[in-house]
Amino acid sequence: MKLVFHGGGHAEDNKALNLEALRMCKDNDPVITYIPACSIDSEGDFLEFAKSFQDIGVGRFLYFPIDVPFDQTMLMQVLKSNMIHLSGGNTFYFLNTMRKAKLMPRLKEFVRSGGVLTGLSAGGIMMTPDISSAGYPEFDCDVNDEHMKDFRALKLVNFEFFPHYRNSKRYEQELISQSKLIDYPIYAVPDGNGIVVESENTKFIGKCFCFYKGKKIVIGR
Amino acid sequence: MAHGRARKNLEDEYSQFDQIDGRHPLQKALPEMVVSYRVRERKGARIAYFNFHLAKEMGLLPADQDEVMTPALEKKLLETFSIIIINEFDEMNGRKFPEKEIKPHRYMATRYLQLQHPNKTGKTSGDGRSVWNGQFKGKGGKVWDLSSCGSGATCLSPATAIQGKFFESGDPSISYGCGYSELDEGFSTAFFSEIMHRNGYSTERALLVLDYGGKIGLTVRVHPNLLRPSHFFAWLKQSDQKALEKLVDQWVFQQVKNKVFVNLPKTKAGQYKLCLDWLTDRFARTSARFEDDYIFCWLDWDGDNILMDGGIIDYGSIRQFGLFHSEYRYDDVERYSTTIVEQKQKAKYLVQTFAQMFDYLKTSQKKNIKEFSSHSSMTKFDEIFEEQKDINLLEKIGFNQKHTELLLTKYRSDVYEFRKVFAYFETAKSSEGLIEVADGVNRNAIFCMRDILRELPQLLLARGVNARLDADEFIEIIRSSYANDDDVKLTPTMKSKITQFQDLYLKLVELVGKTSTVLLTITMRSSVINKYDRVTGDAVTTVVDKVMNARPKLSANDMYDVLREFTEFQNLDPDLIQKRDHNKKSNRERLMKTMVKIVREYREGL
Repeated sequence: MKLVFHGGGHAEDNKALNLEALRMCKDNDPVITYIPACSIDSEGDFLEFAKSFQDIGVGRFLYFPIDVPFDQTMLMQVLKSNMIHLSGGNTFYFLNTMRKAKLMPRLKEFVRSGGVLTGLSAGGIMMTPDISSAGYPEFDCDVNDEHMKDFRALKLVNFEFFPHYRNSKRYEQELISQSKLIDYPIYAVPDGNGIVVESENTKFIGKCFCFYKGKKIVIGR
Repeated sequence: MAHGRARKNLEDEYSQFDQIDGRHPLQKALPEMVVSYRVRERKGARIAYFNFHLAKEMGLLPADQDEVMTPALEKKLLETFSIIIINEFDEMNGRKFPEKEIKPHRYMATRYLQLQHPNKTGKTSGDGRSVWNGQFKGKGGKVWDLSSCGSGATCLSPATAIQGKFFESGDPSISYGCGYSELDEGFSTAFFSEIMHRNGYSTERALLVLDYGGKIGLTVRVHPNLLRPSHFFAWLKQSDQKALEKLVDQWVFQQVKNKVFVNLPKTKAGQYKLCLDWLTDRFARTSARFEDDYIFCWLDWDGDNILMDGGIIDYGSIRQFGLFHSEYRYDDVERYSTTIVEQKQKAKYLVQTFAQMFDYLKTSQKKNIKEFSSHSSMTKFDEIFEEQKDINLLEKIGFNQKHTELLLTKYRSDVYEFRKVFAYFETAKSSEGLIEVADGVNRNAIFCMRDILRELPQLLLARGVNARLDADEFIEIIRSSYANDDDVKLTPTMKSKITQFQDLYLKLVELVGKTSTVLLTITMRSSVINKYDRVTGDAVTTVVDKVMNARPKLSANDMYDVLREFTEFQNLDPDLIQKRDHNKKSNRERLMKTMVKIVREYREGL
C-alpha cells in the first residue's frame, strides 16, 4: 500500500510530499491522474498541480472529474496510472460523487495493485475509515449540503485524518474530545505537512499531531 | 466641519456620473439622425444589478472603491439612470410633469435600418424603446457610449410604424412597442455579455439593471462605440451623402479618440480605405469566430444586430450552441433566421455594402451593390476568414501562440488538412433529420468536438505517442447525447476518418516541437479551453429564470457577486486562470451549484 496524506496548502508547500509520492511510483515516466473533489472551476487547480509535478520531472497527466459523466476509455486509463491524486474540497460532496460514480471499489483495487494514492485535505480524509473529521469543529468544517448520513469512506488506513490543523487551544480541545469517541488515532496535520504510508510503515513529514483516547502527542519534525 | 467635508468627498466620489446627462456629439453633428426627447425622473426603481468592475474600467468609479452598494451610490445611480422619456403620446395628450423632475438636457433615440420595419430605408425605424444616456469620457480619454433599454416608447418602434400612431410608454395592449423592457432581458444581457467579454469578444455590456416591479426593468448598456452598420446604411439607402459623410466623420473621430485608429491618413480617400480595410478585417474575423465558437447572431443586410467593430449588441437573438448545430433556424413568425454557417455570407454582404458606401462617399455616385461583388475587399474578407478559421482551430486544440504562429506560417496546408477531417465530425448530423425545437427548427449535431479535443492529448500522452485510440474508444468519447446507434455506426469511411483525425492531429503536434512536451502543453491548455461546463443560450435563459426566482433574497451586491462568480466559471482562457482560495466560503454556493447543474444539463443544446 502506498498512500500520501497532504495536510493542505498550495503546490509550493507540498514539494517534499510530492517527491515522496513520486519515489513510490518507481517509474521514470509515471502517469499521474488528478481527481478534483468538485469539478466546478477545478481546471485551475489541475494546472497548478500538474505544474508542480512538471517541475520535478513528470510529463504525463490525466484530468478526471467524477461529478460529470465520464467515458470508460478514460476510466480505464486512469486506473492504469501510476498515481492518483484526490484533491481538496468539500468532503461530503466528494464522497457522494465518488459513490455515485461507483469508484470506491475501483480505487481500493488500484491501491491493492500497487498504485500510489494521494489525497489533499478532503482527498486525504477519503482514504480513512470514515469522513467524520470533515464535520468538526463547528467553526471550521465542511457543510453537509448533500445531507449524507453514511460517512464510510475508503478505509485504507486505521486512523482518522484531520487536515489544515492549527496548533491552537480551540482545535486542541475539539480534537481531544473527538479522540475519546473513537478507537483509533486522529492524525492532525497542518498545511504543507503530511503522512506517507508505505506498506506497513507510516512516516510523518513535518510536524504532525496525534490525538488518541483524549491525549495529544507531537510527532514528526 | 468634519461632517461637511465628508459629505463633499462623497459627492466628489461620484461626480463622474454627472457627465452622463443625455448629451452626445451626434445630436449636434447630425441632428437629422436623432429624435430627441425631454426626459423625466422615473420613480419606483430599485438597483437590481450594478457592474462595479465595468464602472471602474470606465473610470466612473475610482479603482480602489469598495465593490459594495451604498445608499449614496444607489441615490446617484437612480438620479442618473432612472429615466423615462416624455414622448409624443405624452405631448399630444397634454400631460404635465413637475419641472423639477424634468432633466435639463434632451436625450436621443437614433435612426437606423431594421429589416422588420415596413420602411426599408430607415426613415421610421431605430431605437424603439431606448434612448442614449450620452457619452462618458473616462480613463485615458477613452469615450464610452451609454444607452438605456426600456426608457419609454419612441416614435421609431415597429408598432408606431405599422399602426401609424404613437403609444403610451408601458401600454399593456402592445408588448415590444410599449417602450419598456423586462427585467429578465436585462439579466440575460448582463450574464451573457460578461461571459462574452471575458472570452475576448467585443460586446455591449450591462452597467446597470433597474427593477421597477412587475418584472419590468431598465438596462443601461455600454460600449466604446454603440453605432451599428445599420446607422450608416440608412443614409446610404436614402442616398443622403451629406448625412452619411457626417456620420462617418463622427465615427472616425471617436475611433481616433479611443485609439482604435492611429496614424489616421490626412486625405478622405485614405481614411475611407483605412475604414474599409478595418471593417473587412473585423467582420471576417468575427464571423469566423462566431462560426467556430458556435455563436448564433442573426446577421442580415440591415446590419442591425451587430456593432461597427463586429461587437455583439442585443442579446435577445444571441445564442451559444453546445455543438455545431449548423442547421438551426430561429422562427421569427414572419421569417426564419439565418443559420450559423450563413452568417459568413451575411457578414460578407455587410462588407460589400461598406465597399459600396465608401465608394459613394468618394465618388458621389451611388453604384449598384452588385458592382461590388468582386471588390478587392471581398477577396480580402475570404482570406482573413480562412486564416481566422485556422487560428481558431489551432487555439481550440490547445496550441499556444508560438505554436499557432509557426503552424500558420510554415505548415498551413497541414492545418487545412486537419480542418477538413475535423469538419467531417463537427458537421455530422443526426439521421433523425430536421426537427422542430422550442423556438425554431434544427437538425441535431451528433459529435462533441470539445470532448475529444480535451481527452485526446491526455490519452495519447498516457499511452505513448505512437499509440492511437481504437475507433470505438474514439466514438465513445466524441458521441453526444443526440447521436443514436445508427449515427455512430463504424463504417469503413468512419474508421478511416478516425485514423486520419489522429494521424493529422499528431502530425501538427510533431511539427511544432517534441511530441511529449507539446502534448503536455496542449493537455493543460485544452482542459480549460474545452472544459466540460460551457454555457449555452438555453442554459443562460434557465439560469436567469433561477436567478429571478431567487431574486427576492438577492441584493444588488449579491447579484454582482453571483454574476462575477459565474463569469469566472465560464472563463475558457488558460492564460487567465486565477489561483483559487479554498478557504473562501461563499454564501451563494448553493445558487452557484444550481447554475452549474443547469449549464451541464444544457451543455449540448442550443
